[in-house]
Amino acid sequence: MSGRLTTKTGEIVAYSEAAIRGNISAVEYCRTSMAALSGCAAGILGLNGLLGFLFYFLSVFVLWLLVLAKSGTQWRKFFINRQSLLTNNFMGGLCTYVLFWTFLYGMVHVY
Amino acid sequence: MGTKIVNRIMLITGLISLLHAAFSAAHHRTYLRLTEQDWTHLPVDVIVQTVVSLLVVVYNLIQVVGNFKEIRATVDMQEKSWDTLGNLPSFYTFNHRGMALYQNYEAEPTTNIGNKSSLDVDY
Repeated sequence: MSGRLTTKTGEIVAYSEAAIRGNISAVEYCRTSMAALSGCAAGILGLNGLLGFLFYFLSVFVLWLLVLAKSGTQWRKFFINRQSLLTNNFMGGLCTYVLFWTFLYGMVHVY
Repeated sequence: MGTKIVNRIMLITGLISLLHAAFSAAHHRTYLRLTEQDWTHLPVDVIVQTVVSLLVVVYNLIQVVGNFKEIRATVDMQEKSWDTLGNLPSFYTFNHRGMALYQNYEAEPTTNIGNKSSLDVDY
């Protein structure tokens, strides 16, 4: 049920495994939805080539900022580190993004 | 609870707005094709509508997902008393010496006021 980690100061902190997993899956849900929605937006805007991938990077970054804004100044209460929030499942999200991007681009601009 | 419903409504509104932007873009594309003009970029209002509704949807999505849980295990424990944590129903025993010692035991009259038993000692 709980894991242990030692902080830099040498103090041992016990973490609740269930809470960590719940938080990560909530963020994962947001990321997947965000990838799909920003893919839709990129398709509507008619971005192509490198610009579309830049749009994905931008939206991942914006989502990261929004999650940090939601957790507030005390993000240490909810996540062990911030970097993994930014990089987790980056490629999986990119696949979802490209799927919706090409679909909406085809629907709006090609047909 | 009330803000949650507001967030949900905003989420659905944002999705509809995104869909509307898609239709506007497709419409613009058809118009350009019929008037035989070249496509350079979308009209600015469609771009603004798409970006704004994307931001609205993502923001409200994060609000709808719910609050994050506290991950430090000790925070949960701190609020509980020892009586709660040390309560082990498997170790309850009723077959103790009291059965033999107090065979003619009568329940004490319920005259205690409040939650105070007559066995409690006044300090």
